[in-house]
Amino acid sequence: MNGITLAVPSKGRLEELTREWFASKGLTITRPGGARSYLGAVEGMPEVTVRFYPASEIARELIRGSIDIGVTGLDLIHETSESGPASVSIASKLGFGKADCVVAVPEAWIDVTHMHDLADVASDFRSRHGRWMRIATKYITVTRQHFAKAGIAEYRTVESLGATEAAPASGVADIVVDITTTGSTLAANGLRVLEDGVMLRSEACLIVSRMASFAPERKAQLDAVLARLGTVAGF
Amino acid sequence: MTNAAFRRTQLDALVEAQGATRATPPLLLSADPYFDLAGEEFGRRLLLTTDVTGAEYCLRPDFTLPIVTAYIADGVGEPAAFSYMGPIFRQRDTGPAEFDQAGVELLAQPDGDVALDQVLTFARAALSIFGVAPDIRLGGVGLFEALLVQADMPDAWRPRIRNRFGHTEALDRLLTRLEAAPDVIREQQPGRDTLVESVTEQMVASGLSLSEGRTPDEIADRYLEQQALDAAHVPAATLKLLRDYLAISGPVLQALTQVEALASRHRLMLGAPIRAIRRHLNGLGETRVSFDASFSPRLDYYTGIVFEMTGPNGDVLASGGQYDRLLERLGAKAPIAASGCSVWVDRLEAEVAP
Repeated sequence: MNGITLAVPSKGRLEELTREWFASKGLTITRPGGARSYLGAVEGMPEVTVRFYPASEIARELIRGSIDIGVTGLDLIHETSESGPASVSIASKLGFGKADCVVAVPEAWIDVTHMHDLADVASDFRSRHGRWMRIATKYITVTRQHFAKAGIAEYRTVESLGATEAAPASGVADIVVDITTTGSTLAANGLRVLEDGVMLRSEACLIVSRMASFAPERKAQLDAVLARLGTVAGF
Repeated sequence: MTNAAFRRTQLDALVEAQGATRATPPLLLSADPYFDLAGEEFGRRLLLTTDVTGAEYCLRPDFTLPIVTAYIADGVGEPAAFSYMGPIFRQRDTGPAEFDQAGVELLAQPDGDVALDQVLTFARAALSIFGVAPDIRLGGVGLFEALLVQADMPDAWRPRIRNRFGHTEALDRLLTRLEAAPDVIREQQPGRDTLVESVTEQMVASGLSLSEGRTPDEIADRYLEQQALDAAHVPAATLKLLRDYLAISGPVLQALTQVEALASRHRLMLGAPIRAIRRHLNGLGETRVSFDASFSPRLDYYTGIVFEMTGPNGDVLASGGQYDRLLERLGAKAPIAASGCSVWVDRLEAEVAP
């Protein structure tokens, strides 16, 4: 197999900003079929095939090694698989799509300001309430890793695919792990981020797969593309 | 018969010879009890699947839970012994997700010491089939709990410290925090009633149920307790005791002597749990046995003594101990003695692989 596959977010603000970033490096991404096409190219670089994918699929395919370079959020790399971060190399941080993955508790929990408070609350939650403390999140992998590090094992996650911040009020969960840029959505829902509750600072990144196989010729092509973008593969 | 097959047959015969009921729980089990018992940390190791109603199932990740659950469902009380060997399924960093485990579960036995001896004997016999003379690491959950009850500190700190036992980093962080506890002058705190009222208002304002989860009373109480704790320091001598104790690790006799010396310096009565550990040493004979004061599984149903057997290349080949709180956690109405172990058959086979 020859040539390099570059995956770009397929729609919305993320697609625009990605194409602007490439343009700022002097590379123009074309999408001949328009917004409904999933195949594109980079002008003047016939060896590069551009694919338009949803950001979460870009993370998954980078980790699998079925695409070579992709633009996606760091959070998705961490969430898709525990081995995600080890399976890729961050070539460049793009400076947009910034968001933090945070632990937030109800404002009314005045006794809980740090993760160690949460550890105490979690440890006797079950004996007080006959169930585990519940955490609503779509970031299950990130939550498990971070809570294990904090020594908290006594909880259950409740998968939440939208409006996570509403979970405590609707009774689905006690606290949330969610992505936030300003914290205003959380605050508007009566939630407060713990003082040491930032688990991950995420932004859009240019990411190279370590799982794709780069024979010498393809590695040379990869390095050439990355050089045009002012970066290196890091392996 | 090849040597490998011969060892298999021998192990199977050993499992059969335990005078126990051979347990064969289903391969497909409801996932909820596992999450319920061991939380998300163990949950991430499960191989999950879902039926058409959305109910979650997992491929059998261990034998203990289904064996003990069935025992409780049959009406508990009678002493019972179970043995098992067969495949279990867990997500692992290395190696296939399907592998064999063998083990025993001794429930409601009249003498917990005798039961644990039987468990240790089984594990060593299983290892010796594969020609492994293990290093045995003992941990004292009962010993630590006895020390914690007697150590001088505000009561509210005891469960917080107990909860972190077995998680070296988390416990270290807590001790460091306690050591650094500054003498801050607290501003005057509002009274409990005022706190409960203001927490209630906040909860109502953000639409939280006042009864489904944490209640305003609970939050206010813990808040006040927290303030009190910041003021009521754990004495420096106690923190030093805990640090000294947790650092004890080495050949078992030497380590237990250190524990005894520490206990007498701090006037702690640890005779009973230390004797309990000593009683098992005769049975272990010449084996290399060490005691590690900070060693414990991170599951709060373990009690008494826990152990791990490792082979020449450092892999844990057998692990187990006493878990007298397990049956209650699974719904039994009274505490029931339990001990057991599991043996990692795939790792044992790797020990003798050419």
